[in-house]
Amino acid sequence: MTANIHTVIIAKDLADLIPVFFRNRQKEVETLRTALAAGDFEQLRQLGHRMKGVGNSYGFARVSEIGKRVEDGAKAGDKTAIDACIREYADYLSKVQVVYE
Amino acid sequence: MNDRAAADSAPDAQAAYRVLVVDDDPDMVAFLARLLKREGMSVETAVNGESALMQVMTAPPDLVLLDVMMPGTSGFDVCRQLKGDEATALIPIVLVTALEDSESRVRGIEAGADDFLSKPVRREELIARVKTLRRLHDTRKELESRRLAAEVQRKEAIRKAFSRYISPRLADRITEAAGEHGDPFQGRAQRTSVVALFADLRGFTRLTEKNEVGAVVAMLNEYFAVLTEAAYQHDGTIFNMAGDSLLVGFNVPFAQPDAAERAWHTALEMVARFGPVAASWRERHGLEVGVGIGMCAGEAIIGNVGSTHYASYTIIGNPVNTAARLMQMAAAGEVLVCGPLYERIRHLVPAARVATRGDVTLRGKSESIPVFAVRAGAHEHA
Repeated sequence: MTANIHTVIIAKDLADLIPVFFRNRQKEVETLRTALAAGDFEQLRQLGHRMKGVGNSYGFARVSEIGKRVEDGAKAGDKTAIDACIREYADYLSKVQVVYE
Repeated sequence: MNDRAAADSAPDAQAAYRVLVVDDDPDMVAFLARLLKREGMSVETAVNGESALMQVMTAPPDLVLLDVMMPGTSGFDVCRQLKGDEATALIPIVLVTALEDSESRVRGIEAGADDFLSKPVRREELIARVKTLRRLHDTRKELESRRLAAEVQRKEAIRKAFSRYISPRLADRITEAAGEHGDPFQGRAQRTSVVALFADLRGFTRLTEKNEVGAVVAMLNEYFAVLTEAAYQHDGTIFNMAGDSLLVGFNVPFAQPDAAERAWHTALEMVARFGPVAASWRERHGLEVGVGIGMCAGEAIIGNVGSTHYASYTIIGNPVNTAARLMQMAAAGEVLVCGPLYERIRHLVPAARVATRGDVTLRGKSESIPVFAVRAGAHEHA
């Protein structure tokens, strides 16, 4: 079996928090898209900052990493980079698998 | 959020340490709350600065875990407000900031934050920091409760020590004063206006001759009990109890503008209260006894006199010596009053009971003083 880059190991005691966590991340994708369409870089920066903080706290390093790029893109006013980030984020959320330990 | 609510509402009755988690991200709040609850702490949450301030004011927690970046009132503002308020300044605040955000840390220090936690939050770091602050908090609480206990013990010791010599009301005042200004009896010898009252037992020598030691002590106790009661009734301070004589001071250690009146009423009360005791001794032992009293007003020195090993709160001066001489001259049931003091109480004394003794030269004194003799009796005690 090959290592799945979308598999994330999460502490067992957080298991019941994860479904809500993912629902909020899906909503976040939609909010990011809306903010990008509106060119609202301040909101994009805040959303990226939040992703950066919450992602790795739960154990989802990739969420934090994408969040940082969104924040940086917002600061630079780089719509293209942010758009790429949002696509990558949506793709990641659709594939990520959680293993509890 | 039902699943979260169910998991996080685990019973934590024994968790005395209360943490308020403030973050506008509900996932972050849920995450931090979960970790803290696993450590047995009680957790409350707020999703913005305004509600955090409200919660702290209504139910102050033991620690606040505070996100910096929140819409509306920021974490810095919350921190500054809580640290600026005397009622909440001592509550530890941990600011949660981005790892690389050194500017936020500087602002946090300026706002009064006690510690910082980096986002993303590492479980071990969170627990270590909170536990450290908890230990500090517990130590501070323990020290505070020890200080309070020591304070209570000290006041109780002072109250007990002095309640043997002064009225319970005065003992309470001294205990209060001890908390505010230190020991009111310590190192403050001062000259002040006093009223001194000396009382002793006429017929005491016969009493000691006719009765066994045990009986004498019991009778003296009975005698001093009624005299002490009378002195305390009017907030007199007992300075000395020797043989069968008792020295009571007024206007000390606290000012009593009506000290003369208090002394007069005490004298009457002593004679009146001792009446039934004397009657019972007469019946049981065939003794003729009564209380003789001398009173005088004037300047005296008040303070602790003695050595480092033994000292007593003492009253020294002319009014004391004069009161002692007058007491020696007083017959049973008689109160001898020096002139200046008599002027202050004459409105209370029935004229028919007063006899002037003229100017009397007291033993050991070069100048004579006017003396008034008042026959005291239970029926005169208004």
